[in-house]
Amino acid sequence: MSGVLDRFRSLPSVQVTLAVALLVLGFLIAAQIAAEGPRIRYTTEERAPLIETALRLQGQQEALKAEILAIRARISELEAIDPSAAASLRRLYADLEQARLDAGLIAVRGPGVAFRLEDGTTGSVDSLVSARDIRTLVEELWLAGAEGIAVNGERIVGSTAVIDIGGSILVNSAYLAGPYTISAIGPPDMYERLQQSVAFVEFVRGRIEPSGVRLAVAEGQEVDLPAFAGTVSLRFAKPGAGGE
Amino acid sequence: MTTTTVKSVHGGNDAARLTSRVSVTLVAVLLGVLAVGQFRGQAGVPGLSNLSAAELTQLIANLTTGNDQLRSEVAELSRQETHLAEVKERGETTVNELTADLQRIRAWAGLTEVSGQGIAITVDGRIGGDGVEDLLNELRNAGAEAIAVDGVRVVAGVVVAGAPGALSVENHAIPSAFVIQAIGSPQILTGTLTRTGGVIAQVTATYEDVRLTVTPIESMTLPATEHRTTPSYAKPRL
Repeated sequence: MSGVLDRFRSLPSVQVTLAVALLVLGFLIAAQIAAEGPRIRYTTEERAPLIETALRLQGQQEALKAEILAIRARISELEAIDPSAAASLRRLYADLEQARLDAGLIAVRGPGVAFRLEDGTTGSVDSLVSARDIRTLVEELWLAGAEGIAVNGERIVGSTAVIDIGGSILVNSAYLAGPYTISAIGPPDMYERLQQSVAFVEFVRGRIEPSGVRLAVAEGQEVDLPAFAGTVSLRFAKPGAGGE
Repeated sequence: MTTTTVKSVHGGNDAARLTSRVSVTLVAVLLGVLAVGQFRGQAGVPGLSNLSAAELTQLIANLTTGNDQLRSEVAELSRQETHLAEVKERGETTVNELTADLQRIRAWAGLTEVSGQGIAITVDGRIGGDGVEDLLNELRNAGAEAIAVDGVRVVAGVVVAGAPGALSVENHAIPSAFVIQAIGSPQILTGTLTRTGGVIAQVTATYEDVRLTVTPIESMTLPATEHRTTPSYAKPRL
């Protein structure tokens, strides 16, 4: 034992440094390869301008959404009714505020749960979180009594589509990368209801567990959901009876 | 003689030391490049660098369409804001403006009946709730403004669920043959659904016995939802 130690002490420091550096290098190379496993990294020249364009459009999207929320807030202030106004006008304003709340156009807070879906580390395509996974979880939460849901800060409304783009997801036309947080406000027993759902149990046992996708849940907490910041204008659908 | 030997040993040590230093330098440079690569990969826009050129093109198309819709919304809201400000400036009541806004939001949220052109998807055969939800998701992605399944308006919170042969929506049992109606551009809705490798191809690959037929419709009326949309637990955030 002491012979080994003596031999180690006699090694030039440069060799020790080299050995440590090579060890770190090995880890980094392994990490790089693991990270690129299922999501193949393309390095063609044509991608650079495409990424720049996508980034520019994402920036514009965020600015437009912020503008929509700001104008809606100003409209809401302009529409606010003086307490001395006629009762019919005050009722009309109350109906409008209620419709905004029902439609998901107002940011809300309440008790709920938050799920986190994250790609697995097995390296297989199956271990990537898909739009179908998000949709399944959202549908199960609705069935368990959720009153409002958001995915990575995108409020789920009646017009929301959740689709795959490569290994990432588009929600309300917003590009989201994992991990994905699905937050829902609902009754106190929402998580228990979820666990009793045959479809949810099948989703966890048949999809999540075998694939290596990571699913975590935080329950019993206050959840904040943002307002929907997209379009509510209709081009083809015209209000019929009961629209007034 | 002895001196010569010592010199040669010293010369050998110098060469070894030089080799070691060069090796350490090379490894350090390589380490630096890899570490920077890792940091950049994680600090950049997550996921974008993992998309292929085709996927980036698809993303750009989606973002462009979405941004156009958002610009239209900004224009519409700005017009509404200007009009409201003018009405208030004149000291008039805002009954008409409030009513129009209420009507617009309630129609969009499915709280009132709506009419318009669109498509009808006739579904015939044993299909699961997931298959129907896939169709609804694609309809939304194609810009459908209002959807009904077997006459039940689909809004946020309404889910078509169940195994093949036992489908239901809002406690309403769905028969083995039913119709999904969607208001929107008939051309865009039909094109998106029926494209090669599209959702209809995928659903019929999963549910082989199901027949799906898409028909453009000149005019249809979809009912208001009966789903409870007023929240009990979610309170406006101040």
